Amino acid sequence: MKKASSRLMTDVLLVFVVAAVLGLSWNHTLLLKAWRGEATSAPPAAETQEVPGPAAQEAVPLPLGLMQVKELYDAKEAVIIDARDMQSYEAGHIKGAVSLPLGEASKGAPPSFQAEVPTAKELIVYCNGFSCHDSMDLANLLIKWGYRTVYVYEGGYPEWYGAGYPISQGRKP
Amino acid sequence: MIARVKEYLPLVVRVILGGVFIYAGVLKIADPVAFAGNVAAYKLVPYFWSYLTAAILPWVEVISGALLVCGFRPKAGAVVIALLNAVFIVALASAIVRGLDIDCGCFRQGGGEKTSPWIALGRDVVFICMALYIVRTSGEERRGVKRA
Repeated sequence: MKKASSRLMTDVLLVFVVAAVLGLSWNHTLLLKAWRGEATSAPPAAETQEVPGPAAQEAVPLPLGLMQVKELYDAKEAVIIDARDMQSYEAGHIKGAVSLPLGEASKGAPPSFQAEVPTAKELIVYCNGFSCHDSMDLANLLIKWGYRTVYVYEGGYPEWYGAGYPISQGRKP
Repeated sequence: MIARVKEYLPLVVRVILGGVFIYAGVLKIADPVAFAGNVAAYKLVPYFWSYLTAAILPWVEVISGALLVCGFRPKAGAVVIALLNAVFIVALASAIVRGLDIDCGCFRQGGGEKTSPWIALGRDVVFICMALYIVRTSGEERRGVKRA
């Protein structure tokens, strides 16, 4: 009986060990990027002439916390993008944020957005906080469009608003 | 008739539960970034740990699911699935208590319709019951196969 239960425990442990080995080796590139805090890897020189392809597909949207977003916001180093629908945007958004609803972006890259925001620019995407995935989905789309440094602000509008940082209402950024 | 049901029910439960976990694991392996986002939404672990969880957990699901479907060491597979579901239940309950309106991240990652934590919690209770049933009957099932 004791032998059977210790064998069962060994089997259970083995499942976790094998899963860890497979998972770590399968996702080693992704994990290294996440560990180093790289949002994306710049494509090698030979690939820079090409349209965003394999290099862009490997990119990972990097999450940012409130303080990091505030630092970039104050330094005006990044374009803040609101992934929510227009109604939510009009009700209240991070002051200066550009509206790019996920629903609209899913249909294709709006030419006006691509004309105004160069691909070298750092982007921070947010939506309704930890409960929504639109910011992550939009960040992945932006990477596919060729943007190289895309961050996801997971706390989103509720956290920003709660912290008392600048907000704005209406259609204007 | 009842005897036949009794004989084959453990096999059916094992294959269904195993299949569900293989399916859930493969979907997550296909999109680890989205799954990391779903893990992060629970706000239980620091962000790098979300990626680490997203990298390893789906493989645990696939391997334990495969053990159940193949019938090789099914008890170990069922124990792992019961443990996983216990962890999921704690995570979902904490999300409900903290008022997080999040997608459980159990199957399809990102987009689509959200599965509420309440539905996911109910589903996990069913899975845990199925896993415990397999743990209890896996010996009997082997005897049943021998008899057949």
